[in-house]
Amino acid sequence: MTDWLGMAAHPRPPRPELKGRVVARALASRRRGAWLGAAAVLAFLVGGGGAFWAYRTIDALTAERDRLAAQVEALHDTVATFIHGPATRLIQIPVSTGGRVGAVTIFADSLRHRWLVRCDGLAPNAPDQAYQLWFITRDGMKSAALMPMDTDQPMVMNHNW
Amino acid sequence: MTQLKRLSQEAERSLVRRLKAGDERALRELYDVLAPWVLGLAFRILQDVDEAEEVVGDVFVQVWRRIDQHDSRRGPLVPWILSIARNRSLDALRRRRRWWRKVERWERARGAGEGGDVEPASAPHEASVPGWPVHREVHAALEALPEEQRGVVLLAYFEGLTHSEIARRLGQPLGTVKTRLRIAQAKLAEALAHVKDWLA
Repeated sequence: MTDWLGMAAHPRPPRPELKGRVVARALASRRRGAWLGAAAVLAFLVGGGGAFWAYRTIDALTAERDRLAAQVEALHDTVATFIHGPATRLIQIPVSTGGRVGAVTIFADSLRHRWLVRCDGLAPNAPDQAYQLWFITRDGMKSAALMPMDTDQPMVMNHNW
Repeated sequence: MTQLKRLSQEAERSLVRRLKAGDERALRELYDVLAPWVLGLAFRILQDVDEAEEVVGDVFVQVWRRIDQHDSRRGPLVPWILSIARNRSLDALRRRRRWWRKVERWERARGAGEGGDVEPASAPHEASVPGWPVHREVHAALEALPEEQRGVVLLAYFEGLTHSEIARRLGQPLGTVKTRLRIAQAKLAEALAHVKDWLA
């Protein structure tokens, strides 16, 4: 019913200058719409690219974390079996360095020929120095390893021979 | 009449196609044909030339940007544009109604002017305006309604009043207003059923 009722109103001739104003406004609105559309597409692409990059990065970091966790787990197992192995001997030696009292703990697996050396409380080295670990054999002393100790933290060294 | 209708529908289809393709000349042509009617409708509702011209701008911006939303299967182009014009005008009217002083001025203008009645249809210099025969037909259909039915139709369409508001304005029971509107709608639908389009 109301489809055509608007035609009941009298037509009014618009002022001549209105046409230019209306048409210019309409055309500008579509151009603005096109710009907004382009900006939205660009924002979508940038956002999509960022999201893809973030997805890939998170994926890679997750894989790296899983790999390291598996490695830590394997090392933990190795150390546990080493420390608690029936062929492992425990040697603890109190030491005094630079007026500090510390200890060297040695786990020695004579079956698999592995050593685990943990040093606690040793005085830190000077930057150009290191503690020297020696094997004493029938043929004399042989260097096993150098143990840099430049912090106050314990130092752990695993050694196979 | 049949030939005119066919030509009109072809012209409308062509115009819509060109508008959808972004043809600026089509927009200018549409303006030339429809602007007087859009302005007339907006002015009829708003009784203010400046605001009515603002509505004309809004309508053509919306038509130009949203022409894709026009579904020719649901109706011709002209009523679609007129409905946009009416909605925009009523929005402006409602905004203005919140401003009491302007409402009073508007009421005075209405009192001094045509009131709620139908405007006279004959104006020889306007007979050349495209769409004038449809205007005459719509006018005749409205004139043919009894006064009380025509009144509620005009209040509903041109002032955007709800049934309750019309009932309050006329001091009539709500049921009476609804009945009058329903009967009037049925009569108008029958009287204007043959009107399809006039863009040519």
